[in-house]
Amino acid sequence: MQLVTADNLGYSINEKRLFHNLTFSLNSGSGLHIKGGNGSGKSTLLRIILGLTSPSKGGVEYCKPNLQVSYLGHKNAIKHYLTPMQNLELMFRSSALQNAMKWMNTLGLNKVQDELTANLSFGQQKKLALIRIFASQSDLIVLDEPFVGLDNASRDLLNEFLQKKLASDTSLILTSHIEPNILCSELVLSGETDD
Amino acid sequence: MFLGFSCLAMGWIWGLAFAPEDAIQGNSYRIIFLHVPASIMAQLIYFFMSICALMHLVWRVKLAAYLIKSAAPVGVLITFIALFSGSIWGIPTWGTWWQWDARITSTLILFIMYLGIITLHSSFSNAEKADRLMSILVVVGVVNIPIIKKSVDWWSTLHQPASISISDGASIDPSMLYPLTISIFGMALTMIALGILVSKLYILTREKNKKWVQSHV
Amino acid sequence: MINFFSLEAFKLRHKLRAWLGPLLIMILVLIAFPLSIDISQYDLNKFYFSVIVVSLLMISFLATESIFSEDYEDGSLEQIHLEEKDFYKITLAKILVHVLFIGIPMALIGSIFSFANGVSLAEAPKIFVILSISTLILFNVFAFGSALSINKGSMLGVVASLPLALPAIVLLGRGVRTVQYGQGFFEVSVLMAGVALIVTALMPIIISATLKTHLE
Repeated sequence: MQLVTADNLGYSINEKRLFHNLTFSLNSGSGLHIKGGNGSGKSTLLRIILGLTSPSKGGVEYCKPNLQVSYLGHKNAIKHYLTPMQNLELMFRSSALQNAMKWMNTLGLNKVQDELTANLSFGQQKKLALIRIFASQSDLIVLDEPFVGLDNASRDLLNEFLQKKLASDTSLILTSHIEPNILCSELVLSGETDD
Repeated sequence: MFLGFSCLAMGWIWGLAFAPEDAIQGNSYRIIFLHVPASIMAQLIYFFMSICALMHLVWRVKLAAYLIKSAAPVGVLITFIALFSGSIWGIPTWGTWWQWDARITSTLILFIMYLGIITLHSSFSNAEKADRLMSILVVVGVVNIPIIKKSVDWWSTLHQPASISISDGASIDPSMLYPLTISIFGMALTMIALGILVSKLYILTREKNKKWVQSHV
Repeated sequence: MINFFSLEAFKLRHKLRAWLGPLLIMILVLIAFPLSIDISQYDLNKFYFSVIVVSLLMISFLATESIFSEDYEDGSLEQIHLEEKDFYKITLAKILVHVLFIGIPMALIGSIFSFANGVSLAEAPKIFVILSISTLILFNVFAFGSALSINKGSMLGVVASLPLALPAIVLLGRGVRTVQYGQGFFEVSVLMAGVALIVTALMPIIISATLKTHLE
């Protein structure tokens, strides 16, 4: 079943063209790895797929109403003046909180759960942010460079998690310079020049 | 452009040289031929900008945003003229060049708004985003125009009521009214001409990568 | 909606500087003013109000300065957009929480200080009422300003939103005068409340559109 289709997408900023004529579709249970050099528009493409940025041309369509999307971008969306525990309370309603706390233990964040998030290391903050992905139910997972800053153990954990999700009919779109250990189709943005 | 200047010149010459002296204010009232057109234009330009802003927000007309961006500096200029001429007029008639009266204050606010709009637009690197934000600000700011219009009636203060109002007819003598009307028209035409010049330049700058511009220049 | 409200309250409670700071500055200004000028108590009573009003204006601006920037910078706004598609609720919740935590205490401080400067005990609650209503208006307006200038520093926000705030100040001045002269208070306060309601209903829509534009 098709989940997301993009038709003839184009995006330009200040009259400078980033990419154009992108057409692809994503079935549920499959993954898409967007590749490309720095500044080729990977993050922008993700934001267009999410509906955060509107494309200059074409459009993205969700084939399922009320599609549940979870997303983690460059920004972690965690509050530095709160403890990891309090951050989770902000992120999740009480029903999902139990699950989230389980993930916190798995990722080894329970040691620091009462410290301020500002004092955590970069990798620990990233892990905390990833709990948003781990502990929520969604049809589509969108990740922008999720492996940056993670140690090997957590990288394997994330790979494993994503594989499991793909098997259970959740779709995945990600960008990463670190090759993910997941079966994905690939989309390469070439950073074209204006013609 | 030429038409605007000639109208303005005619209005001014008539007003400055031939119109009779005001019974109370003497000759100093003659600055009215600069002050009143400028004040009216100050508001009209904003009104024009808000219509453009609405067009830009609702229909995404790109040209509308360009027009706002180009009209704003013209608005700053004319509002400054209105304020400045007002204070020159104020010295002989009220004995003070500035008064914290509702109308003057709200014109000053209008002046700040024009400046705010320009600053807002120029502080974003993504020009399309800047267009949208500017339009939102312009539409929200339109609340101020009725306040300026009505402020004199609400807080009846030092500033004299509007010289011309549509419903009651004019409160000044026809011999002054005609040159005044002509000056207003002249001012309007001048401003339109100026606006067209500025926006032409601006459109060319913004679309400089497009083919039609490159072939046009 | 209630959920958003409690989350915002939770966040603001943990940002001591964000809500206590403005209140302390307000107190400081109100104390410093009579100290810094050598005039009789009689004169002070006459224009101490304008000090309260102006400090209310400034502190309102200060209090809402970073109302959205934090959520914008750490990416929370994106997450909210994915869930809600719209920022109306979160904006409304933010403004109301800020009014509750900062605005109302500010109005309280203002009315206490006005009591100390010649307003009778019976009149002080009236001052409290109109000050609270005007903080609601001002917070809305300045929230718009800070939404416009979200990543560009506060100067821009002031220039953009001050013109909108000044009519509210004129209205507040009118209200204060009715308290001083003891008549027409009810009409003006109802008028202000009406304006505040309209502003509170409309402003979040506008702010929501502004924030969406910023996210793009």
